Amino acid sequence: MVTPNKPREGGRRGRVRKALVALTAVALVTAGCGSGGAADETGPVTLTVSVWNLAATPEFQAVFDAFEAANPDVTVEPVDILAEDYPAKVTTMLAGGDTTDVITMKNVTDYSRYASRGQLAEVTDLVQAKGDAKLAGLDAFDVEGKYFALPYRNDYWVLYYNKKLFDAAGIAYPENLTWDQYADVAKKLTKGEGEQKVYGTYHHTWRSVIQAISAAQTDSDQITGDFEFFADQYKMALDLQQAGATLDFGSAKQASYRTMFETEKTAMMPMGTWYVAGVLKNKAEGKTAVDWGIAPMPQRPGASGITTFGSPTAFAVNKKAKHAATAKKFVEFAAGMDGAKAITKVGVVPSLQSPEITEAYAALEGMPRDELAVKSLAPDTTALEMPVSEHTSDVDTILREEHELIMVGEKSVEDGIKSMRDRVKKVLD
Amino acid sequence: MANAVTEAPRGAPPRGSAQKRRTRRNTLIGWSFILPNFVGFALFTLVPVIAAFALAFLEWDSYRPPEWVGLDNFTQMLEDENFRVALGNTLYYAAGHIPLTLVAALALAIVLNGKIRGVGFFRTAAFFPYVTSLVAVAVVWRMLFNPTAGPVNQFLAAVGVSDLPGWLSSTDWAMPAVILTSVWRDMGYYMVLYLAGLQSIPGEYYEAARMDGANAWHRFWHITLPCLRPTTFFVLVMLTIQSFKILDLIQVMTEGGPGRSTLVLSQLVYREGIVEGNFGYSSAVALVLFVIVLSVTVVQFRLNERRNR
Amino acid sequence: MTAMRTAPAPTPPPVEPPPVTKSRPRGSRFIRPVVTYASLIVVAALVLVPFVWMLSSSLKRDNEVLTVPIQWIPEEFRWSNFVDVWDRIPMAAYLGNSAFLAVTITLLQLLTGSFAAYGFAKVRFPGRDALFVAYIATIAVPWQAYMVPQYIMMQKAELTNTYWSIILLQAFGAFGVFLMRQFYMTIPDELCEAARMDGLSEYGIYWRIILPLSKPALASLALLTFVNTWNDYMGPFIYLTSNELWTVQLGIRSFVGQYDAEFAMIMTGAVVSVVPILAVFLLGQRYFIQGIATSGMKG
Repeated sequence: MVTPNKPREGGRRGRVRKALVALTAVALVTAGCGSGGAADETGPVTLTVSVWNLAATPEFQAVFDAFEAANPDVTVEPVDILAEDYPAKVTTMLAGGDTTDVITMKNVTDYSRYASRGQLAEVTDLVQAKGDAKLAGLDAFDVEGKYFALPYRNDYWVLYYNKKLFDAAGIAYPENLTWDQYADVAKKLTKGEGEQKVYGTYHHTWRSVIQAISAAQTDSDQITGDFEFFADQYKMALDLQQAGATLDFGSAKQASYRTMFETEKTAMMPMGTWYVAGVLKNKAEGKTAVDWGIAPMPQRPGASGITTFGSPTAFAVNKKAKHAATAKKFVEFAAGMDGAKAITKVGVVPSLQSPEITEAYAALEGMPRDELAVKSLAPDTTALEMPVSEHTSDVDTILREEHELIMVGEKSVEDGIKSMRDRVKKVLD
Repeated sequence: MANAVTEAPRGAPPRGSAQKRRTRRNTLIGWSFILPNFVGFALFTLVPVIAAFALAFLEWDSYRPPEWVGLDNFTQMLEDENFRVALGNTLYYAAGHIPLTLVAALALAIVLNGKIRGVGFFRTAAFFPYVTSLVAVAVVWRMLFNPTAGPVNQFLAAVGVSDLPGWLSSTDWAMPAVILTSVWRDMGYYMVLYLAGLQSIPGEYYEAARMDGANAWHRFWHITLPCLRPTTFFVLVMLTIQSFKILDLIQVMTEGGPGRSTLVLSQLVYREGIVEGNFGYSSAVALVLFVIVLSVTVVQFRLNERRNR
Repeated sequence: MTAMRTAPAPTPPPVEPPPVTKSRPRGSRFIRPVVTYASLIVVAALVLVPFVWMLSSSLKRDNEVLTVPIQWIPEEFRWSNFVDVWDRIPMAAYLGNSAFLAVTITLLQLLTGSFAAYGFAKVRFPGRDALFVAYIATIAVPWQAYMVPQYIMMQKAELTNTYWSIILLQAFGAFGVFLMRQFYMTIPDELCEAARMDGLSEYGIYWRIILPLSKPALASLALLTFVNTWNDYMGPFIYLTSNELWTVQLGIRSFVGQYDAEFAMIMTGAVVSVVPILAVFLLGQRYFIQGIATSGMKG
């Protein structure tokens, strides 16, 4: 117990302070010390990999099976963590000195945190060794020239649409649309009232639906503090909401985008490629009758080529891994051709880019095979959803809060963008 | 433990060694009762709590060794707009949630303490909001509060309210909506505590009062309420603590929005700590939250003691 | 009637006789229960609305749950969900795990909580009140604030990923101590004094006098502890990693994916997980009957 005596001289206070720091340090930090001693990696190895929601995320099992087949003496043991609070658990586990070998990076922001704290092992040599193979989203993992994870999966945004509803309205499928044309089409496709109402499009409540796409297509940065480039996109979205051509923000908060699309309540929907696997599965199991297609995201007027945004997912090696060498092998495997092939089979877009993979992906059972679909699967530019810096999550929170206020009509677009700027500037200073 | 034994009793000073021996005996007996719970409590709750408070004066990212920063975390808090907003919202929430829940729980308990047929069903129904899945609670209340199609506003319009609130889509009305939902959710929980308290009132009191011709209101005011004081005190303290710590319901209903209109302190603690990795700052916010709750609780204790005298 | 005169907390019954309104209209005898029941039923309906939605959702397809506007009656009743949920996750094992944890923790909390509360309520010794405040004060610290230090301690003790971590964490909470202490305060000290005169030890008083008198408080503590443990998600989530240790709440959340969720399965799981609580509550609430606590006090 620290006795509540008043410090008479600076030295004493210093000692108390030092003791306090030391005590807390001892209590909190030594957890992992001594462990992390590399285990013997000759002979059979059980590699532990942290994953989320194993049962509902088939790509993990696909990679594990492929890796085990290629390395007969390795058994992969998944550490299954619930998707919802995955980062919270991983942060806590790593703080406690956990020795799980491979840690899956759910998003780039978390990655940059673990990497900057020194919780991940460097894998720069793997990046150098892969030669000219192209990994989409790799740049996001560059921390001052060093890499601590390799992406194996890269989802980007496309426009899903319901062919039946387009045909019924006699409107051509959404090819080469500008955002204005997209809004027009959405209004035309809206019909019905009350429970029977079918919306022209559906914007989910995530801020990326407005912000990330406009940043990508205006080649702007969401972290500099100036957000004028959001304005056009907001005006378009608010106009659609006003016209009743999309579900209002308040109601969308409790809606599920899958429900909207699969029960044919919306004719269009901008969404990530992760949904392909989901809709394929539900279609195959007869849970939805939607006749779906995918098209490239609408573009700004006068744009050349297709620009969209995406977010990579990566595997990293825990600094305290028990089987560091095997873990590294696994990370390399997952990002390589064999890993990419394995996850393509379950409908997931791999990070590795090659004509062979794109073809395999387009040839999936149930996949739309028209020209529009093929085009949407080969975007010219895929910008990163959110740039990585030490301020990313602070800025992310601010942008989300102001996004809500604009979308529910509490703030005008101008006011919203102004307070984004004011608040973000404060964080950056 | 040694502390407790040597501390002089606060009341009359000990007279002679017999008194001392008795004090020592009582201390030993008292501790023997407390110890089984205290060991578990001290090891796995008290120590981490103290560690967390120490962190408030350090900077720590959960991995690298902590660094001493003195009061920096607290000065940072003074300039943090999020903290000010969250503090205001937390106070707002508590000011609404505490009295409303208290009254609702007491009313439920009194009605459901009587001899009613099917009382088991009604008690269970009242308790059910507390065990219904939070997702279901959030979805249904969002629907009820929908500004245009929701039954709440349809009812208000029917009774002639012209300026309908926007509830969860409005910065002004989101907090009242959250408060109403949480009162609805928690009243059954505290009803259980009140039901237990009601059983400790001797039936003779009521019989005597009835013979004196007291009506129901008088019986409530002069017997039930005074006899329930220990329970009310307990409920009040727990409610205060839980209100200031509110997190889960807000997380699923609004996530602090729209904007920051329902951002509360516990959310800030979670966000800054686990999510952002600023464990020092997070602990500092928690420490401030703790001090606020503690001072309210101490006031409640003092008032309670004075009344008991 | 001695207990009545000497009871410390409550003020004595009213002295001044209130205006008597004895002659009520005859109809009131009939009307009052009707009004009571009618209002009770309305309140019960309001309170159960979300639960009804939960039930109805448990009979839908995943992509039919979150519709706008809300759909109260499923287009097609999919009773098969209640079969599927047992196939999709090891529901029986999860229910067993939850039951084990909830029962163990409730028993320990009842035992140590009521025991410690006696020390705080009926034994006078220096430092008692300060210690008690420290107990309650820790309840006021949000768990998120000390979660990581606590985890590190558990990891060092090699207790993570075992039930010990959850049991140690939750069985010794201050809540039970506080609740029981408050209840003991309503039991007149004279009762203990008399028992002491009769030569009963403090442990004897606790066991033979106080404990039998506190059935309603024990019942409410048991109920609330059971429900809180059963419904706890974050604690088991952080501490239990192996799937075979998971509880029902973790099982239900395993239907939430990275970008979407299987809402019908979640609701089905939630309905299944509520049934045991229902049973426990119906059993427990029987102890809230006037008279069982006071029968012993008529010294």
